Amino acid sequence: MTNNGSDARIEVIDLVVRYGDVLAVQGVGFAIQPGELVTLLGPSGCGKTTTLRSIAGLEDPVGGTIRLNGAVAYSAAERTNLPAEKRGLSMVFQSYAIWPHMTVAENVAYGLKVRRLPRAEVEANVRRVLDLVQMTTYADRPASKLSGGQQQRIAVARAIAFSPNVLLFDEPLSNLDAKLRAEMRVELRELQRRLDITALYVTHDQEEALAISDRVIVMNHGRIEQIGSPEQVYNRPCSLFVADFVGAANLITGEMLSPPDGDGRVAFVTEGGVKLQAHDWQKVAGTRLQTAPTGATKTGTTKAGERTVALHSAYIRLEPVNGADGAGVAHVAGRAGAMNLSYGTIHRRMFHGDFIQYVVDWPAGQLIVRRPPTEMIAENQKVRIQFAAEHCVLL
Amino acid sequence: MSGQVTALPGKVCAKLGVGGLLMAMVLLLCGALVIYPVVFLVAESLNTGEPGVFPPPEMSLSNFAAIGEDIGVIGDTLLVAALATVMAVTMGFVLAWILSRTNIVGRAKLERLMELPYYMTPLVGAMAWGILAGPKTGLLNQLWHLAGGGGDLFDIYTPLGIAWVMALFEGTVAFVMISAAMKSMDPALEESSRVLGAGKLHTMLHVTLPLVAPGVASAAVFVFAEMLGAFAAAFVLGIPGRFYVVTTAIWQSTQSYPPEYGRAAALGLSLFAAMVITLTFSKLILRRGSHATITGKAFRPRRIDAGSARWLLLAIAWGYVLLAVVLPVGALLLTSFQKFATVVLSDSIFTLANYQTALSTGTLGQAFVNSLILGLSVASIGVPLIGVLTWIIYRSRLPGGVFIEYVAMFPQAVPRLVFGLGLLWAWINIPIPIYGTLWLLGIAYFTVFLPLGLRTMAGVIMQVDRSLEECARVCGASWAHQMRTISLPLLRPGLAAAWLLILIASIRELGASIFLMGPQSKVVSPAIINAWLTSSSELSAAMAMLLTGTVFAGVLLLFLFARNFSPNQE
Repeated sequence: MTNNGSDARIEVIDLVVRYGDVLAVQGVGFAIQPGELVTLLGPSGCGKTTTLRSIAGLEDPVGGTIRLNGAVAYSAAERTNLPAEKRGLSMVFQSYAIWPHMTVAENVAYGLKVRRLPRAEVEANVRRVLDLVQMTTYADRPASKLSGGQQQRIAVARAIAFSPNVLLFDEPLSNLDAKLRAEMRVELRELQRRLDITALYVTHDQEEALAISDRVIVMNHGRIEQIGSPEQVYNRPCSLFVADFVGAANLITGEMLSPPDGDGRVAFVTEGGVKLQAHDWQKVAGTRLQTAPTGATKTGTTKAGERTVALHSAYIRLEPVNGADGAGVAHVAGRAGAMNLSYGTIHRRMFHGDFIQYVVDWPAGQLIVRRPPTEMIAENQKVRIQFAAEHCVLL
Repeated sequence: MSGQVTALPGKVCAKLGVGGLLMAMVLLLCGALVIYPVVFLVAESLNTGEPGVFPPPEMSLSNFAAIGEDIGVIGDTLLVAALATVMAVTMGFVLAWILSRTNIVGRAKLERLMELPYYMTPLVGAMAWGILAGPKTGLLNQLWHLAGGGGDLFDIYTPLGIAWVMALFEGTVAFVMISAAMKSMDPALEESSRVLGAGKLHTMLHVTLPLVAPGVASAAVFVFAEMLGAFAAAFVLGIPGRFYVVTTAIWQSTQSYPPEYGRAAALGLSLFAAMVITLTFSKLILRRGSHATITGKAFRPRRIDAGSARWLLLAIAWGYVLLAVVLPVGALLLTSFQKFATVVLSDSIFTLANYQTALSTGTLGQAFVNSLILGLSVASIGVPLIGVLTWIIYRSRLPGGVFIEYVAMFPQAVPRLVFGLGLLWAWINIPIPIYGTLWLLGIAYFTVFLPLGLRTMAGVIMQVDRSLEECARVCGASWAHQMRTISLPLLRPGLAAAWLLILIASIRELGASIFLMGPQSKVVSPAIINAWLTSSSELSAAMAMLLTGTVFAGVLLLFLFARNFSPNQE
């Protein structure tokens, strides 16, 4: 066992996992510090679950290194691959994996009994964690008679019962209905903070990833696209893929009128001739942590010099204007770095309850805009469109 | 699976070392059990010297050349198999449609009853239909005479009669396969046709039929292959009239003096080849013809409201039960209590003497005891062994799993009778003196039931979600601890069902046993055949009833297990 002196709980270096001819994970690396909750986010088949399972010791990687609490758990070079039971971490499975032939208490006690703890200690711990997940009254029920949400709680209780310092979550909420999912999200985060557990969490739900994480790792095609705080990943996506996957941004194509200045400011003209001020955040140090090789996520053929600007739908303001007022003419506001201004027409309005989604026709095509339900605008109404330059992220 | 197998990196060589050794041992065992007898079969087919000697003193292809002389037998085999297939598939299709697609009452019970003829065995079925529809004395013919009819209404001792019995008692597989095809169709496919304005009939013709057609065609070819290798019905109903099919010709050539082992082996191998080709063809049809929309998933099919026609449909379903279960069992029961060989309805004398004889007569009673001992031990040893084998093939990531699966499933393609022949020569030529003992029968049963055990056990193991086992490991349990506390308790009900299934299969086994039992190791089915050939039909009827009773008791237990331990314990 080597200890490289790093105090990271989980350290993954150049991990490669292969399924037959398919490279499911191709050179993934990251480190998770004590007490952090980090999410692996990506579409199905992006390698996030395979990465998690490799850390748990449930896959046989073909390359790289995995260190847990500083000790080597897997190393291609040293030819070591610790079996799952020797890694001392814990995991919540997507299917919950509640053993149907045991009672709730027996399920929770499993990891404690395996560790041959004295009976009193086992019972005390079972009571403690069942209390934490508010399932104390269910202790003696057969585990097969539980609802999905209850099974989920038991799975969490079982995973934390033997006080592991690293906890893995494999899409733990994906089998719950939307309301319960939102509640459990809060509870899980609360629990992780309270017990000060280091957690790695896999999900394909970007909303969940943003809400629950200290940091988000966006994955695609077995590679990492971006690592950053939820705000960084949302506000400053560094690839077309991240911009599209996290928060579904408007992707506006056009050309740069000038190279970015020292602060990353760029003058940009869209396909329909709208002049914008955008920001090249990748010029600004500290934003771009890691990206896929250039062009890996570009879709379709791009004309020479064509660039894309990402603009989240929530950052666009709409104001009804009278028919004559500047119809169809777009211009950039004079003040540098301030607001972009244009005009358009509401094409379609969809009421979602928590927000209203508008499809707005404007000279550069169509914009998706989300506004609070208080800002109701009629279809076919002319609107003034405003958005800040810093939210126009040049990709 | 195979993908992960090739992905094994060099880094886990230590694991591969132990695993590789395990795999080599398993492969060696399977090979010895399965391949070894086939080698002797091939050797014997080439042997033109002294029969039964290995290695053959003289070798040539003349045994195969001589197959030309059996062209009549081959023609008769094809005729009977084709007739039986047509009848079995027609019945299977109609019954599968009635039971899985209409709303007649008591479907679940009927579906269970449909399986009974298979468990009753074609041997018992053939004897029963011999009693029911034999010329002159057959019960149905007697009724016909009582009603004033002249001549015989039925003669079961004909190719058509043999095919009828085969269709009833071996054709169950057609019903099972076609039902599966009908149940695996997403009802939304039909519903969308209805929603788009097509009527019931139009939907049936243009959506339902094309979708199930590959399944039906595949079932037909599969059943044909099974019929080619069928033995019991042709034996019981064909031998008296010197009507031979390939399987009975093989049996006959081993009974002649001197035994024509070369002819038997050549015929056996040809039959084996024909079955392999046909079975492959059946799989090909299914793969080429199946549409992507038919998945392995079981849907709850939409049932058609048959309206007033449902009484007709119900009558058809129960009619089948009458012909395949009620009448045969009734006829055997009646005969088994008779004092004299031929039942004449008008003056029958009832007696229990046949059962006394069947149970007390040294060899016959012993045959029951032997069959039970064999069944219990083969099931008890087979389930753990096959369980480990299944786990290696479907759950471990050790290399070569697919290859082991091929070897272990191999006996499925070989007709039991032919396999028994190979086993006979294989074990006669080994210095261990197990020929003529129950040990040889035990080994033979284990080998021929490998595919059955493997398929059942695979179903059982697949039902247990892998993450249940993985979770135990992550919680810190070693492999052994996980097996003891998680895997085995979860698998127990399925394993019990598999145990019963192998027990039942062992007790009713005929094809492999007929060559392998010796005077000191008699088992039930061949003993019944001997009684049928050499003594009275009322005695063999009593024995058949005892066999059927035992098997039905086992089946009942099996059904109870299946009901109590459904995979979803919700």
